[in-house]
Amino acid sequence: MKSDLSTESRKSKEEKKVLRKQLKASHTLLKHEGVCTTPQPTKSLVIANGGLGNGVSREELTAVLQEMGEVEKLLMPPHKPYAFVTFRSEDGARKAHANLNGWKLQCGESSITLYLSYVDSVKCKEGASVPLPEGLALVEHFVSPEEEAQLLNVIDWSPTQGDVTAQKSLKHRRVKHYGFEFRYDINNVDKDKPLAAGLPDECVPILQRCVEQGHTNVLPDQLTVNQYESGQGIPPHVDTHSAFEDTILSLSLGAKTVMEFRHPDGRVAAVVLPERSLLVMKGESRYLWSHGITPRKVDMVPAEAPRADAPTEPGIQSNLTLSRRGTRTSFTFRKIRHEPCHCAFPSACDSQGAPSPSPGPSLPSCPADAARLEEEYVHRVYSTIASHFSDTRHTPWPRVCHFLSSLPSGSVLADVGCGNGKYLGVNADLVGCDRSTALVQICAARGYHAFVSDALSVPLRTASCDACISIAVIHHFSTAERRLAAVKELVRLLKPGGQALIYVWAFEQEYNKQKSKYLKQIFKEDHGEFSSTNLLSEKSQKSSGEKVSDLSCHLENSHKPSDMQGVSRVPDARLSVHTNRTAFTSQDLLVPWHLKGGKSTVPVFHRYYHVFQQGELEHLCAQVSGVKVKSSYHDQGNWCVVLHFSII
Amino acid sequence: MKLLTHNMLTSHVKGVTKGYPLLIKATEVKVNQLDFNPQFVSRMIPKLEWGALVQAAEDLGYRQDLPGELIADYEQNEEFLKKVHRVLLEVEVMEGCLKCPESGREFPITKGIPNMLLNEDDA
Ligand SMILES: C[S@@+](CC[C@H](N)C(=O)[O-])C[C@H]1O[C@@H](n2cnc3c(N)ncnc32)[C@H](O)[C@@H]1O
Ligand SMILES: [Zn+2]
Repeated sequence: MKSDLSTESRKSKEEKKVLRKQLKASHTLLKHEGVCTTPQPTKSLVIANGGLGNGVSREELTAVLQEMGEVEKLLMPPHKPYAFVTFRSEDGARKAHANLNGWKLQCGESSITLYLSYVDSVKCKEGASVPLPEGLALVEHFVSPEEEAQLLNVIDWSPTQGDVTAQKSLKHRRVKHYGFEFRYDINNVDKDKPLAAGLPDECVPILQRCVEQGHTNVLPDQLTVNQYESGQGIPPHVDTHSAFEDTILSLSLGAKTVMEFRHPDGRVAAVVLPERSLLVMKGESRYLWSHGITPRKVDMVPAEAPRADAPTEPGIQSNLTLSRRGTRTSFTFRKIRHEPCHCAFPSACDSQGAPSPSPGPSLPSCPADAARLEEEYVHRVYSTIASHFSDTRHTPWPRVCHFLSSLPSGSVLADVGCGNGKYLGVNADLVGCDRSTALVQICAARGYHAFVSDALSVPLRTASCDACISIAVIHHFSTAERRLAAVKELVRLLKPGGQALIYVWAFEQEYNKQKSKYLKQIFKEDHGEFSSTNLLSEKSQKSSGEKVSDLSCHLENSHKPSDMQGVSRVPDARLSVHTNRTAFTSQDLLVPWHLKGGKSTVPVFHRYYHVFQQGELEHLCAQVSGVKVKSSYHDQGNWCVVLHFSII
Repeated sequence: MKLLTHNMLTSHVKGVTKGYPLLIKATEVKVNQLDFNPQFVSRMIPKLEWGALVQAAEDLGYRQDLPGELIADYEQNEEFLKKVHRVLLEVEVMEGCLKCPESGREFPITKGIPNMLLNEDDA
């Protein structure tokens, strides 16, 4: 693997770019991570972008490093986008520095560019791992591969009528209940209404084993089966105290995953659940800690066997690697509780007067609800975050600029939902409007023409504009009717022959095997519309998690429970909270915004989004009379259309 | 609010058929000195509702002696373009309101920004 980057003769443009990026990376490392680099060659290097947090596995990274020289150790701190390598000799480090700066590492479907800088010493602050929550036990190899196959066979996921489309279009975990149905709308079980189907017979020997081995004293009478495809998860939650007895047993089948336990004081413990293992939750771990699975396709797990070439230091939990998720099915066995709960954790106990977690916003069911949802989860949020939002939005998207500059000068142009006026500066013919006064004030302060109005009712005359743009606005409307009304209103402004450009956020963040910038690595300028700032900060991740648990966004959204047995794909209309920089798991969701500061005290705001599936935007626009979709494309994680309006 | 913006705005109150132009009730007007760009002004003129502009300028006391009818060959007429530049871009209503000529509904202008949001009942 020779890279022409090392050939001294040509100081090519490419070389200069790499150097610039390398400097920028070391600057970012210092500023956000306290990693101090040095210009003097040493034996150790920090490898920006080459971290577990960026989807780089230990194996992939080791392979390229070993070609540079003998590796003494490779430290990969959990969740971080960088790694540290120490070579046996300075010579190896020099070689790596010369040859791997700007190197594109192929990781699964995406390629990651590495930037290396020397460091004096390698420190890894990510200290001792958090001990398991009190009352939690994990029993590995609890069932045999034969039993595993047998249990997986018991579950009939075959779609019932009406379920087919939901199954195809929405990427949600599947849920099926036996014994009693857990109702996500009331967060409890209907104890007077047992389901026709009791627990499958195949479960009996497994449950007897649980009793024999002392994991539980009573036989469970309720079973919930969840199936998670790679990329799916479940928001953090505590199983309702008044619904179930103390012990909860959960079998993992088919594939392993990582479950996160969170204590109200902020402690987080990530527990790897191998396939065929049994998780036993009792006491504090069942009553006080929340548990959840972050939707993602790759987990960080301890490397299987210690590697000779990369020994770990005692006490430092950096011997991690990545494991790609497969389809995991969990069997969770619980015993219905018939008396109020008297646990020792009243703060989390609904039987003892703790407020049952507020249900969080749901998808609107009437127009007034929709307006209220948008008011609280779009307009109020933009007003609050306006100046921070504006600071993160300077780079106009090239293809939008291209559209704007292709219009003849002297055109009448409107930007509906103009935000901080990012595009108003691109073409002086534009007038902007936005719902947020705070953002319009920013436009005005920059000398742009702008006013406050709603995109559903724009105070401009019918047929007065040569072209209109609506960039990243229509995904904030919470019903299909309102999204259609927004397109109609935009088209109403057009003269015959006029054009409109619409961008909305795409459900498909990976398109043509390209990850959008939103998902991509972080040592790059943030071009993305939807970048939130603290992606380096662990804290912000946690705080979003906490938010999830208090919203109790129990499950993903939309579509009703589908059949008698209690099979449902999406048992609740509650909106799920998105984990920033991960793939979407539902189309209607709340996206956290972390204000600058990254302190855990800084509140997190949630914006409502409806992310569009491929073809959905075209379909929406086709319903407006006189409109032709001139072109449509995927650009930076958005679905985009150019519309042409003519009198019919 | 500059008069260029005013020239584009219309009342969008439900049921209103003659919502243009909006009446201006100004309590504070500011005049900013801005660089004069004759090309820019020339190319704005054809997209204006000339009558509405002159009326708005008149109401604010900045009509100068702009004619009620748009003159021909204004591209060459620097003096004329300068006057248009002034009313279009330099005069700015900072506080006051815009009033729908038909329904009488008023939209506030604060810190130079018209707020055209409607309540639920008049949307
Ligand atoms: C993601 S920002 C995009 C801003 C700008 N178009 C850009 O590309 O930078 C979404 C904008 O839509 C605005 N918005 C949301 N709902 C709106 C509505 N109903 N009417 C008008 N603007 C709205 C928000 O205030 C916000 O400025
Ligand atoms: Zn309790």
